[in-house]
Amino acid sequence: MTQDEALELARDTVARAQRAGAGDVEATLSVTRRFHAEARDTTISKLEGSTGRSLHVRIFNGGRRVTLSTSDLSPESLDRVLRDAVAQSEFVERDPFAELPDACGRFQGDLDLYDRALAERDDARKVDDALALERLVRAADARIVNSSGSQYADAVTTVALANSRGFADAYLSTRASRSSGPVAEDAGVKRTAHYGTAARHERELESNEVVAGLAARRAVEMFGARKPATMRVPVIFERDIAASVLADLFAAVSASNVAVGNSFLAEAIGERIGSDLVTIVDDGTLAGRLGSSPFDGEGVPTRRTPVFERGVLRTFLYDTYYARKLGARTTGNSTGGGIGANTFYLEPGTHSLEELIASTPRGVFVLDTIGFATEHATGTYSRGARGFMIENGELTYPIDEFTVAGHFGEMLAAVDAIGNDLRFDGSVVSPSFRVGEMTISGN
Amino acid sequence: MLDLEYYDRILARALRFGGDYADVFCERRRAYAFRLQDGTIHEGTTVLTQGVGIRVVVGESAGYAYSDDLSLDALLRAAESASLIARGAPNGAQRQIDLTTMNVPPLYDQERTDHAAAARYVALLERADSAARAYDTRIVAVNAHVTDELQDVWIATSDGRFVHDHRPMIAFGVQAVATAQRERASGYVGDGGRTSIAYFDAHAPDELARDAARIAVTNVEARPAPAGEMEMVVGAGGGGVLLHEAVGHGLESDFNRRGTSLYSGRVGERVASELVTIYDDGNLPEERGSITVDDEGVPGQHKVLVENGVLRGYMQDTLNARLMGTTSTGSGRRQSFRFLPQPRMCNTYMPNGTATVEEIIASTKRGLYAKSFSGGQVEISKGDFVFMVAEGYLIENGKITTPIKNATIVGNGPDVMTKVTAVGNDSRLARRHYTCGKGGQHVPVGVGMPTVKIGSITVGGTQE
Repeated sequence: MTQDEALELARDTVARAQRAGAGDVEATLSVTRRFHAEARDTTISKLEGSTGRSLHVRIFNGGRRVTLSTSDLSPESLDRVLRDAVAQSEFVERDPFAELPDACGRFQGDLDLYDRALAERDDARKVDDALALERLVRAADARIVNSSGSQYADAVTTVALANSRGFADAYLSTRASRSSGPVAEDAGVKRTAHYGTAARHERELESNEVVAGLAARRAVEMFGARKPATMRVPVIFERDIAASVLADLFAAVSASNVAVGNSFLAEAIGERIGSDLVTIVDDGTLAGRLGSSPFDGEGVPTRRTPVFERGVLRTFLYDTYYARKLGARTTGNSTGGGIGANTFYLEPGTHSLEELIASTPRGVFVLDTIGFATEHATGTYSRGARGFMIENGELTYPIDEFTVAGHFGEMLAAVDAIGNDLRFDGSVVSPSFRVGEMTISGN
Repeated sequence: MLDLEYYDRILARALRFGGDYADVFCERRRAYAFRLQDGTIHEGTTVLTQGVGIRVVVGESAGYAYSDDLSLDALLRAAESASLIARGAPNGAQRQIDLTTMNVPPLYDQERTDHAAAARYVALLERADSAARAYDTRIVAVNAHVTDELQDVWIATSDGRFVHDHRPMIAFGVQAVATAQRERASGYVGDGGRTSIAYFDAHAPDELARDAARIAVTNVEARPAPAGEMEMVVGAGGGGVLLHEAVGHGLESDFNRRGTSLYSGRVGERVASELVTIYDDGNLPEERGSITVDDEGVPGQHKVLVENGVLRGYMQDTLNARLMGTTSTGSGRRQSFRFLPQPRMCNTYMPNGTATVEEIIASTKRGLYAKSFSGGQVEISKGDFVFMVAEGYLIENGKITTPIKNATIVGNGPDVMTKVTAVGNDSRLARRHYTCGKGGQHVPVGVGMPTVKIGSITVGGTQE
């Protein structure tokens, strides 16, 4: 389906919904062509190629909001489900804030979201790519004896959005990713690891060599890990784990959580929360980045929004609904049903990760966490973790089976060093950073 | 949904280059949902997704393609795409497939074809909202949701099976938020299963809502969790998440066939305290994890995973079973037609032991009573896990004392299973709608357990 055809279908859906009795309507059609190859040992273990379509409709009947998703785009089926959705709206309470956005449009500027070479890449080369990654990771260390697979995947997506206020626009984007999951064995103990990366452009994607090297290192470096003592020490979060901390923080600045009292930051606008080093931005306009798009999930132009500036909380992130409800302006963070990140990132510092470690007399370097308990309502952070002990500025031995815990507010206030290793391989990203003191629970 | 002759033609096209096996998974899923927020019905949702997934298996390789365009042309194109995995493989002979319709006795209602009147869902949410608010003046917010879903699947396989399953699923949940001084805490309770809105005539939403409010109020008064090693008593029902994460995933056959699980090649070995028996059961009527047939058309089964501490078997889908020289245990499940099946759990639980809850608590000198968990995660090869305690208390000198909040427990699955020192006589399935994620796919599951005591566990908190 071409962009024009997708746009026409979105417009047609809006017209059908209005004929079915809907007041205001927004229709978003996404069409994605996906390819995925997984290699394991010397063979291709999975080969998938499909095109999927999904139509998402929001109806606002005088403040009564219903949403509808369908993959059946036949006119008869569409008319039937649109009638059902209009009928359902009568059971929803009138909400004065539930309306289409006032000002739709697109970010003016080339966002460079589409890589033609990637979209036209030959499948056979992609298959070879996955096989090569699997070969490299298995050859990277003698202790790597197995793998849960190495993957290459890409997708070409068309998004078309039309609404009953006359907005209609579309964009095309690409995404490629590769990842590897080696299994290492030493003295009868198995360790799995995983490393993956993604980009909009093939040229930006980390090479097979880099991915294999990092995946292999993660698999072998934890051998001989001990359980650390319970203690309070400085903690350095490696960039991928730092990004997961930021993802938790995102939930606390998301207006949908703020509005229902599910955020420890609900009353904190204008307050100093983080240290001077902490500047966190949401930006939908970074050229060529995975989190960028010309408009958000309800057709509002994307923008750059500083959320924390030198530690001070400046704003929450809004879609149209929660902006109206909380008396603010949308920041272009609608996903078409909720609030999501564009590119939400911590501004990098000037030190390398090695310098961060070298300037820590005693502490813990966290390389991986498991668990997803985040009480963004209370601000409590607690995860199972593994990583390294730092003594006299050096990584001394691996540690695991411990938890790292603290309060988000105190953690941000205690950020005393930020790395220069920021990398844009997702929509929530972060350089490595150090928190002055946290609780490690072990023996 | 498709003409029967389509299945024959799709399978024939999928096997044009040969292959060991092929199947067609046709699905239609309709969901109808309401959400309550700030005391009013905030949003309604209708979902209709349908499509066909086509798989070709050669050795340990799988080719896959799906289509949400149900025209024969589009489906044959998808079959061709899936067939590419078999190019150049042995077993190139084309074969004739005669599909025979299987009839499997259903575990849930096959007759209901649509959702109920909207007013019934609305009334359910409104009752929950007022019950939670009435529980305590410290309850400041209530969120509730209900989703009623009907999934139809039609599965045709190259070994001649054709089967249809009609799967209802209702899920209802209430979150209550309490505040006191500057503290905030929430409690969440859910219920449902492969049944309909009528289930809630007998299981009053008011009680669930009051329970959510009770947990929120308990947690708002709770002290921060202590950090360090201590005994742990795991509560009946929801404690089953521990079995699911700490043992269940490690017994899924894909990890074992590939040798990446720590349980690989260990059937017949002692892997847990002899007090530990674990079942996975797809056959419990109307339970959330139950399936008349799995997503490969194999009837659900009762599986003995661990018996008196000895590992008895894995959960198998067809691909891994064939490669391991055994048969499927009806564990092949997928999120939707857009995904390949994987071996997955259904309802995982531990049957009754002999101890009473009172004995177990009384025998604990200093420990954590983890009544329920809000989630967990496991690392498969070594078995390290993490759980978040949703409702927890300190046990001091054989008595339940202070509520504690934000406790995380970390440990190692196989290690913890050897440290089970008492199993209660109060086994039950958790009344909550659990969803299990694996490889980017989410499927509904059930978990259950009696009250169980574990000799020592690491609790991660902020208080020493």
